[in-house]
Amino acid sequence: MWPSQASGIQISDEVVKGFQEIRTRHQGSDPNERYKLLVFRVSDDEKFIIVDQEVSLKMKDLKDSEDIFKSIVNVFPTNECRYALYDCTYENKESVKEDLVFIMWAPETAPLKSKMVYASSKGSLRSKLQGLKIEWQVNDLSDIKDTSAFLEKLGGRQSIKSLEGKTL
Amino acid sequence: MSGGVYGGDEVGALVFDIGSFSTRAGYAGEDCPKADFPTSLGVHVEEEGSGEMGTEQETAAGRTFYLDTTALHVPRAGVELISPLKNGMIEDWEAFQAIVDHVYCKHIKSEPSLHPVLMSEAPWNSRAKREKLTELMFEHYNIPAFFLCKTAVLTAFANGRATGLVLDSGATHTTAIPVHDGYVLQQGIVKSPLAGDFITMQCRELFQEMNIDIIPPYMIASKELVREGAPPNWTKKDKLPPVTKSWHTYMCNEVIQDFQASVLQVSDSPYDEQVAAQMPTLHYEMPSGYTTDYGAERLRIPEGLFDPSNVKGLSGNTMLGVGHVVTTSIGMCDIDIRPGLYSSVIVTGGNTLLQGFTERLNRELSQKAPPSMRLKLIASNSSMERRFSPWIGGSILASLGTFQQMWISKQEYEEGGKQSVERKCP
Repeated sequence: MWPSQASGIQISDEVVKGFQEIRTRHQGSDPNERYKLLVFRVSDDEKFIIVDQEVSLKMKDLKDSEDIFKSIVNVFPTNECRYALYDCTYENKESVKEDLVFIMWAPETAPLKSKMVYASSKGSLRSKLQGLKIEWQVNDLSDIKDTSAFLEKLGGRQSIKSLEGKTL
Repeated sequence: MSGGVYGGDEVGALVFDIGSFSTRAGYAGEDCPKADFPTSLGVHVEEEGSGEMGTEQETAAGRTFYLDTTALHVPRAGVELISPLKNGMIEDWEAFQAIVDHVYCKHIKSEPSLHPVLMSEAPWNSRAKREKLTELMFEHYNIPAFFLCKTAVLTAFANGRATGLVLDSGATHTTAIPVHDGYVLQQGIVKSPLAGDFITMQCRELFQEMNIDIIPPYMIASKELVREGAPPNWTKKDKLPPVTKSWHTYMCNEVIQDFQASVLQVSDSPYDEQVAAQMPTLHYEMPSGYTTDYGAERLRIPEGLFDPSNVKGLSGNTMLGVGHVVTTSIGMCDIDIRPGLYSSVIVTGGNTLLQGFTERLNRELSQKAPPSMRLKLIASNSSMERRFSPWIGGSILASLGTFQQMWISKQEYEEGGKQSVERKCP
């Protein structure tokens, strides 16, 4: 079945382009210019899902970060919903992994309208972002206080040795 | 855009959410429904030509309907009480139309042909009924555009989730509805009749045991203050018309429903007589002026929702308690999506407003769910949101500019027929 497109909100071309870039790690480009976190939001006229360039993070933006995971979750507003693609680096028992994670950010503290618009448009967006295995839905802000809720999405706390270069 | 897309966004769309207990209707984009009245209506089967023309009655083929809070409560000879819905689906189309007519005429005060309509529907609504409703709205009401959306999907969206398990406990049923990526998983729907009306029935039995008569306000002319536990001292109104049993029962049930909301409380752990005996008593006054204190009963009655095994009158019952409804439903869904359902159990419906309901459910689920599962219960603190969540969700959706392309337009209906609803509103 095709994904639910309940709201009729359209996906802008820049979203698809951004997805291609972050997925292929934009081969040949300067590693510093690669996206680590690509944030999407509903445009102010509520017609499109667009890339939120101002808050999206490139590798160079995180060069001095001591805790990359924390820097990433801190990007999200506590009273608004967002979508994002996160190029996550982690190490499990076998090897170092790089996986693209789809984040659905819909905190309980966001207004009902925001939650309704983002949840009902998610299907349309996901239909343009094929092949993502990992999805992290954040509704409860306590889920971002530590990494445990996120690690479950990667296969469980026991099996993950490090996240973003930080040993757990 | 093709010519088939409905393009008239200058006039507001309407949202109807017609539940077994109450009907909500109003303009899309508003925060709460303009109309909120009982779905039950009074009906009088007319003999030829005796048509007194009141303001709040709708006549159809010899039947006169009395609806909305005020008209419904006037005692009238021979008026039976009926519901247009059965099992959440439209059964009596004439009575259903009376409700829709009433909303247009008394609440919206506008022409149906001017407004697109978004209606909620039971997640298990049948194809034949969906098509019949589509036909009715286009052919009879001549609306410019139509959309049908499942209540559980609207509720999940309004809670910021495209995937979740919606637990809807209303008047007639408690139902668990798994929603995945914005679609209802039909095979996972689980229903139990342990809901609001069941509690009302249990209270009725309690009052019988305690020899307390339920006197609805319509019968009472005046009452005296009496001491606690003493027989009530009230006088009956003169000249009451001979009302029907079904109408009288409905009025009694309203008295009991107030008692339910004010006095009952769900125990936070399985019912224990000794714990219940320690329960602080609560004073409650009946419309007749009879007052007494209630103690252990406060916990004992709602216990049946969670543990039906000890309920009298349900011998050898196989009904599922609320916790089991949830776990059974999730257990029938694909193993890969179960974590997503357990981490978003959305509690909605008027019966969940019983004090302690969500706390007890949380406790039961944390014991019944597989230990590795992350469990999260979502229940809006606002009783308005919990009662109206499908309506509010529909209100937001239908007010979005981009929703224009989602509607079944009149032109699409004319070209594709009533089957358009299957394609446009999955």
